[in-house]
Amino acid sequence: MSAIAPAAPAHAHPLEQSKFWIFVQIAMLLAVITGLELVTVYLPFMKWLLVSALVILSTVKFMFVIFYFMHLRWDKAFCTILFFIGLILAGGTMWALLKLFGAEASKPLPVTALEPPAAVMRVA
Amino acid sequence: MSSTAAATLNHHHDPTTSTGIANKKLLMWAFLASDCMFFGCLISTHLIYRLHPPPGTPPAREVFSIELTSFSTFILLMSSLMMALAVNAIQKGNLKSLRWSLLTTIFFGCIFLGCQVYEFRNFVFEKHLTITNSILGTTFFTLTGTHGLHVLIGVIWLSGMLLYSFTGRLTEKDSIDVESMGLYWHFVDIVWIVIFTAVYLLEYI
Repeated sequence: MSAIAPAAPAHAHPLEQSKFWIFVQIAMLLAVITGLELVTVYLPFMKWLLVSALVILSTVKFMFVIFYFMHLRWDKAFCTILFFIGLILAGGTMWALLKLFGAEASKPLPVTALEPPAAVMRVA
Repeated sequence: MSSTAAATLNHHHDPTTSTGIANKKLLMWAFLASDCMFFGCLISTHLIYRLHPPPGTPPAREVFSIELTSFSTFILLMSSLMMALAVNAIQKGNLKSLRWSLLTTIFFGCIFLGCQVYEFRNFVFEKHLTITNSILGTTFFTLTGTHGLHVLIGVIWLSGMLLYSFTGRLTEKDSIDVESMGLYWHFVDIVWIVIFTAVYLLEYI
């Protein structure tokens, strides 16, 4: 339950009143960024550049949602720390897995390489 | 004017807990942090199998419909806006605005689910991609299906809150309940932001 703080007149919280417009502006910004992402994938640039651009754009969207829509900007820092612990653990796991399985040695062997040699089969 | 009437609610500080954060909100943040790891593993699994697709895997670009997914993304972003406005409304004690915002959020959530059902049907019956006939199907349906399940749970929760608001027992003092629900809904949105980029858009590069 929310706590009751000392008395304050309504006009003392201009931020509370302007939050409506902050949210609307951020939603419009998010829609524009989504449009930019769509355009980005069709640009004739190098793959690494496009992937970096997409990662940056989606990170910006992510941050706007968690800090404004989810109120992390106005809440206690502990909420941010708690969420980022999960986020860092998840990000670290993803990075490690992608590195492990992205290595050359992790490539799956072709089916022919898995078949035993004919000589071995005859002995068996 | 009495001191109670003149008092205003501080929604970002709860003096009754040692952390200054309402317990329900803290619980929700802890749950969302753990859910991050859950979705992180599902997204990683999908990306790993996309690194080395086995022979016979259909090209994802030919299966996906970027127009439909972009529309779904836009709808989910707008639902997040309406959810933020719903929390803002209950914090001001404006029940009428809360109800309209919740109803719109539910509507957008249902549109998103409808798009997902249409997409799944299209994949299975038109593109012949099922959860069992290829690794792409397995990882894709598991990941997006789990996200869809989260959206469905959110829609049910929102509907329950909307009905509860008509009982007259939902007041400004209970705004933490709506805020916790809002955190969950926004989380569903940020997961989709990652899925949209990692699963869909990367296939088009």
